Amino acid sequence: MTFPHFNRRLHLYLALTLLPWFLMYGISSFAFAHGDYFEQRDKAKGLPLWTTRFERSYSIEVPDTGDLRPVGERIMRDNGLTGSFGTYRESANQLDVYIYTFLHSTQVKYRINEKKLIVEDRRFRFDHFLTGMHGRGGFEQASLLDKLWGVLVDLVCLGMILWIATGLYMWWTVPRVRAWGWLALLGGIASFALFLSKL
Amino acid sequence: MYLALFLTPWVLMYSVSTFVMNHRVWFRGLYGGPPPPFVLEREMNYSASFPGDATPKQVARQILTSLNLDGAFNSSRRGRDGAYIIQRIDPITPRRITYIPSEAKLTIEKLPWESRAFLERMHRRRGYQHDEALEDLWAFSVDLFIAGMLFWILSGLWMWWELRVTRKLGGVFALGGIALFGFFLLAI
Repeated sequence: MTFPHFNRRLHLYLALTLLPWFLMYGISSFAFAHGDYFEQRDKAKGLPLWTTRFERSYSIEVPDTGDLRPVGERIMRDNGLTGSFGTYRESANQLDVYIYTFLHSTQVKYRINEKKLIVEDRRFRFDHFLTGMHGRGGFEQASLLDKLWGVLVDLVCLGMILWIATGLYMWWTVPRVRAWGWLALLGGIASFALFLSKL
Repeated sequence: MYLALFLTPWVLMYSVSTFVMNHRVWFRGLYGGPPPPFVLEREMNYSASFPGDATPKQVARQILTSLNLDGAFNSSRRGRDGAYIIQRIDPITPRRITYIPSEAKLTIEKLPWESRAFLERMHRRRGYQHDEALEDLWAFSVDLFIAGMLFWILSGLWMWWELRVTRKLGGVFALGGIALFGFFLLAI
């Protein structure tokens, strides 16, 4: 196998393997870029975004400073909740735990003074489903599958860089498209630089 | 191909910034902490007259023009002292300008350059909510990038199907990717 042959195959098979990710990132970027439109559309339906699953008395010590993640973890364990999560101090008197999977999101509000726990489920919205997938990544979650998703996000980044490199090589090996290619490439670089300096 | 060549800087920026955001904790260690906060650039006496019914947006625009800092911004008015807070969303050097009318005082703060924060800002820049034409053009370039991605997927599928010799193995890679994605969709 020659290098140009290997290069073409790498470009093709890489793209085919990562196709669902490219599709997801492409469509979800549209949902991000036109978020107001989707918000207005949903608002017109007049449906509540969150519905209460349960409210109950509950008590847990919340430290004033420091890492709140262990507190969130304990709240979830005590109340039979599972999934990736983040813990945030909403206010001096409220701690929020946001639990998410690709298909479902739940928020837990713990009112510290009242010692009260409220668990709410979010109505499924396709634009939120897409943006949720788009925004998911990182290696902070304990579960192995979450970390593996983070690795896949890295692979997509690497795939895009390789896509650029193999694409540039393929362009360069076809002399008759070189001049127009230069024009497109330099035009893109100049436009991007213009945006950076003038925005 | 020409579209891909034109959009190369966008592809590069989105892929590198995604990597940085995917490894936020690691980069925090590498850079020795979170991105730096605003630092004082200059303070000055500033007196200007504004129409009585001027909105924070109108006041902000006038101030930015007088400072030669035109461009996309967000503005608000602070209830405590009536100060106008202007966030000038410059991709290279974002600034926060605070104008306190009662003291005729203007403070300009800027974010020191940091590649990690710059990449994340560029990644998140989108939408047609600002008045500036160039800002709309950027939003259009983001839409073009999205359309480009979808077009590359469709054209790539067509090219793969046309190459009989790669059909089988390509099908294996495509189905493998779809299965992996489907698994994660249901599992996490």
